[in-house]
Amino acid sequence: MTCDIALSRRTVLAVTTAAALTLLTGCGAADMTKQSSPFANAQGAKTVTLSVQSWVGAQSNVAVAQYLLEHKLGYRVDTVQVDEVPAWDALSQGRVDAILEDWGHPEQEQRYVTDKKTITRGGGLGVTGHIGWFVPTYLVKQHPDITNWKNLNKYSSLFRTPESGGKGQLMDGSPSYVTNDKALVKNLKLDYQVVFAGSEAAQITQMKQFAKEKKPFLTYWYAPQWLFKKVPMTEVKLPAYKEGCDADPAKVACAYPHTPLQKYLNSGFAKNGGKAAAFLKKFKWTTEDQNEVSLMIADQKMTPEDAAKKWVDSHPSTWKAWLS
Amino acid sequence: MSTPVFSVEGLWKVFGPKAERVPGDPELTALEPAELRSRTGCTAAVHDVSFDVHKGEVFVVMGLSGSGKSTLVRCLTRLIEPTAGSIVIDGEDVRAMDKARLRELRRHRAAMVFQHFGLLPHRTVIDNVAYGLEIQGVGKSERRARAQEFVAKVGLDGMEQRRPAQLSGGQRQRVGLARALAVDPEVLLFDEPFSALDPLIRRDMQEEVVRLHREEGRTMVFITHDLSEALKLGDRIALMRDGRVVQLGTPEEIVAHPADDYVREFVRDVAREQVMTVRTAMRPGGCDGTEHPGALDPGEVVADAIKVVARSGKPACVVEDGRCLGVVDHERLLGVVAGTEPQKEAV
Amino acid sequence: MATVTASAPRAGLPGVLKHRAAQKLLLLALLAAVLVPLADARWASGSWPHALTVDVSQPLADASDWIIDNRDSHPLFLYFFGYISNAVVLCVRAVYLLLLAVGWAGVTAIGALVAWRVAGVRLAAGTAVAFLACGLLGMWVPTMQTLALMVVAVLVSVLVGLVLGLAAGLSDRFHRALRPVLDTMQVLPAFAYLLPVVLIFGIGVPAAVLATVVYAAPPMARLTALGLRGADKEVLEAVESLGATAPQRLLTARIPLARKELLLGLNQTIMMALSMAVIASVIGAGGLGDRVYQALASVDVGAALEAGIPIVLLAVVLDRITAAAGEHAGEEPQSRLVWLYAAVAAVAVALAGRLAGRLDWPDSWTVNLADPVNRAVDWMTAHLYSGVPVVGGTADWAGRFTTWVLDPVRSGLQWLPWWAVLLLVAALAWLIGTWRTALTAVLAMAAIGVLGVWKPSLDTLSQVLAAVAVTLVLGFAIGIAAARSDRFERLLRPVLDVFQTMPQFVYLIPVVALFEVGRAPAVAAAVVYALPAVVRITTQGLRQVDPAALESARSLGASSTQQLRQVQLPLARPALLLAVNQGVVLVLAVVIIGGLVGGGALGYDVVFGLAQGDLATGLVAGAAIVCLGLMLDRVTQPTERRTKGGV
Repeated sequence: MTCDIALSRRTVLAVTTAAALTLLTGCGAADMTKQSSPFANAQGAKTVTLSVQSWVGAQSNVAVAQYLLEHKLGYRVDTVQVDEVPAWDALSQGRVDAILEDWGHPEQEQRYVTDKKTITRGGGLGVTGHIGWFVPTYLVKQHPDITNWKNLNKYSSLFRTPESGGKGQLMDGSPSYVTNDKALVKNLKLDYQVVFAGSEAAQITQMKQFAKEKKPFLTYWYAPQWLFKKVPMTEVKLPAYKEGCDADPAKVACAYPHTPLQKYLNSGFAKNGGKAAAFLKKFKWTTEDQNEVSLMIADQKMTPEDAAKKWVDSHPSTWKAWLS
Repeated sequence: MSTPVFSVEGLWKVFGPKAERVPGDPELTALEPAELRSRTGCTAAVHDVSFDVHKGEVFVVMGLSGSGKSTLVRCLTRLIEPTAGSIVIDGEDVRAMDKARLRELRRHRAAMVFQHFGLLPHRTVIDNVAYGLEIQGVGKSERRARAQEFVAKVGLDGMEQRRPAQLSGGQRQRVGLARALAVDPEVLLFDEPFSALDPLIRRDMQEEVVRLHREEGRTMVFITHDLSEALKLGDRIALMRDGRVVQLGTPEEIVAHPADDYVREFVRDVAREQVMTVRTAMRPGGCDGTEHPGALDPGEVVADAIKVVARSGKPACVVEDGRCLGVVDHERLLGVVAGTEPQKEAV
Repeated sequence: MATVTASAPRAGLPGVLKHRAAQKLLLLALLAAVLVPLADARWASGSWPHALTVDVSQPLADASDWIIDNRDSHPLFLYFFGYISNAVVLCVRAVYLLLLAVGWAGVTAIGALVAWRVAGVRLAAGTAVAFLACGLLGMWVPTMQTLALMVVAVLVSVLVGLVLGLAAGLSDRFHRALRPVLDTMQVLPAFAYLLPVVLIFGIGVPAAVLATVVYAAPPMARLTALGLRGADKEVLEAVESLGATAPQRLLTARIPLARKELLLGLNQTIMMALSMAVIASVIGAGGLGDRVYQALASVDVGAALEAGIPIVLLAVVLDRITAAAGEHAGEEPQSRLVWLYAAVAAVAVALAGRLAGRLDWPDSWTVNLADPVNRAVDWMTAHLYSGVPVVGGTADWAGRFTTWVLDPVRSGLQWLPWWAVLLLVAALAWLIGTWRTALTAVLAMAAIGVLGVWKPSLDTLSQVLAAVAVTLVLGFAIGIAAARSDRFERLLRPVLDVFQTMPQFVYLIPVVALFEVGRAPAVAAAVVYALPAVVRITTQGLRQVDPAALESARSLGASSTQQLRQVQLPLARPALLLAVNQGVVLVLAVVIIGGLVGGGALGYDVVFGLAQGDLATGLVAGAAIVCLGLMLDRVTQPTERRTKGGV
């Protein structure tokens, strides 16, 4: 490509913004995918950009990784908070270098890892994730048989709220989470109404509020999650999960699977990321570790940085293995 | 009589759909305004107007609001594009001018003073006055110096750095006047310049115009709805109604011989003794003897003559260039005041 | 719903108009009598007929796939969007590095200096305090990131707005073409812009800046056009009479004469850009908005507030400075020398800060606000949630509001046959406006049906109507009180400022804690957001009532309630109608936010679309919100405002 094309493009650009600045970008193609955040690297250090998802567990991963990268490896770390699917997109484009906790996005994996090869698998996080329906444990003490889905209809009046009308309320969370709940309620013929809290923040606030009042509630939730420490909950048994039983989203009538959570790296970063990339590939901890940090952040309201420092200080053997 | 500065001939300005067909159609031109509007949806703001403006005179166009006088004065420099007719300035056809030539006309030959002043609120007095020069491309120091001269001329010394918002109405119009004068135009066009001012300030400003005219002898076209202002300032007056000139003449002619009932009604309350001259009031003929103590000039107004006649108690002679033209006595003068004299002559 | 939107304007109409209103209704009834049986026979009543919908999800999904597949190879991206994107990144980075290089002392000094020269000593002090507060809260770097993004976004918005506004101000045809576009963009909720922009530019700063520009440029364009068109005709004539050329006329008269409007446009652009800066955190804008968003994830109101306060401070300071600049437009120009001295002083401070090695805000100088705030919020929710004697707790209110207001309105709307909804919209819009506004409103409503989101849209509509009703009742009451008491108004002003500029993410958690998940907190959030504008417009309208009319009423011995009822309220009618209109538009803007607290319906769909990268769901729901906005705007927009071309 020649400069002529770039020049003609520039006349178009002049209308929109600083034409002069495009000169700085040089002639030829301007590949957006080679771009980093303008706030990155401001102090002249090596920079890694990590995606933080909106739930606290993901924040814990990133906080610890960030702390170690900054204090032990001398990197500067930027974090970007985006939802899961857009994060895959950003990872593919190189706006983000790594996702540390993914709950399974087969469609995206097919597109970016297998077809386009812009994303590389980074190994397991060491944490197994599970989605399910939960009721508070204080409720189970009163109604021990409530933990079987077959008895849910019997108790639907307990879960009635103004929002669910005459039915029981099954609370779902953020729209970014994987959920089959609407189909499940329908296919299991449950007298329930799915109410979307719309965000995890709203869902947690509501659950805490219910727990404070010792009110009954039924909610979509997932583990590992720090909230279990604050609000003990018991899972409601749904029809057992079998491979492929959730293939058709409209006909799902089984529980959610147990998913080993995965890490993903931008392919370029995985190849050229040096120590940082090697460290992130090795990063692997347990559900307990993650919950410990999550609880510090979400419940004790420590900053992610302080929480990470506290964990790092008390678990040297765990993280030293990641750096070797 | 000198050559006219402005010569307007058969001028039309018609507003409305397909306005250009109206002036040429004898059937339409004969219609009353209301009929014309209902038939065509058009309004003839200026209806077949013709007049000349002579060098050095103050030509007043007077009429009530909606009579078309403001449209007329804007047609002269094509701020409003006329529909038909011709406008000639110093022998040059204004309607044939191209954009550049027209700009030239507006920059150097005709400047206008507006009813609501039309000042630029973000500029100081001196920069407002210099604005016309700035547009012409005059350098900063030169235009400042020239503007300063005109600021002084209109009596605004010391207010150069003020903004229009900090001035009184009268002062603002002085700025407007200075701005028009600063470009040294051949003709000054006034569009009801004093009607937004208080009566006392209006009188001051009228006197200012009279003074300027006396000092510089500049040609002026003056639009007003105020008859006394017209009579006070005008050398000649064109009286407009519904877009037409119903009468054109000196103030005296108009007061003495109204062209129709409309004009008559208009001038009914005029203090005739302030307008009519001795020339009209006198009884023509010789005087007794060659000595004319307390003789009157024929141009003097009747009010002054009354003073002379009342003081001496006897008729006075009217003398021009040492020649006796006639005599006025208290009977003739009272006839003028009462408004009976002209009618008698007209019958 | 009719009580809010229609009866208020009708009540004050003189007899002739009433007659005309009756005529319009009659005509509409005739039209309906012919069309309804036809439609009924063809498609049946009830919800929007399936035969009349168009499924756009497949083409949208295809478009989305195409963009993702071609984003790093197609010339359109490489040579056009790529340049834009890179230019944005470069600009933002340049500004950001500059701000960091100047250091906190320098930025504070320069900010205070500009405020001092433009708006006086008090605002200068306020500006300095605001910047220092950002540092004290430990938010210096995020504040600078947001500031860098804002500077670039505002500059571009102003540029784009000026160009469009100039064109619209000078050309009637362009103005006619641009006007409906700007009108539409004005009612678009900010969230609706995010999805398409993200798709093209990916997440990150470029997308955030461009979404901000699209959102913030329209007021600049509108006000520029308004300023150019509203210029004093006689001044322009005077300028022309002196023989000015067209460029001279534009540069020496039209633009300077429009200075007030231009500065007002700048003010509005800045305000809108700032509110967008937070919303754009959802697509990776970084800065303060991102801090708020992250705090939201850990349900930490205190931390959200710590990041929210700098936003409020920035907004208030920038608003006051630009507003002051607008008011002082056309006054004495300031001496250059003073500027020079002040600039030297600012540079000296910046250098001093640099030499002292204190470029970054010192970590030890921060105040922890989060803990006390969280304790306060906990206390509040614990004590207000339920079991408050006599009045009942907020949760009880929310429950009752949902059962007795939201549910009946929703089921009522959804029970109405589709053609009846269209007729209702047509009747309301026509009574208030012209047949054109009625047609736009009906078409917008029909478009919702065609898109196949009839039911969720009516759900959203029911929430909007309920929220508007509550907003108006509260807003008028507070507005009247503020108009009658100067002291109350002074007390109210900072509160309104805070609520108007506080990012909505900050109060989502308390709202849920108080009102439980569902539509009630969505309504509450909308009311909090829309209330300040309604109160302001009401107060202003009442205060601007002709004093002569009030005096004459007083001289006749009217009591103060009589004055209010018989003089002030009727005379302030245009302002009150504007308040209704603004209330509707603002409430709708928060509907998507409501999706985050359980409002469901269209808001949830847009959030879902963003979260899942699902263009089909998100864009269709976004389009439906736009249509609802258009419809509601037309139904509440009195004709007077249109002819005046109000802001």
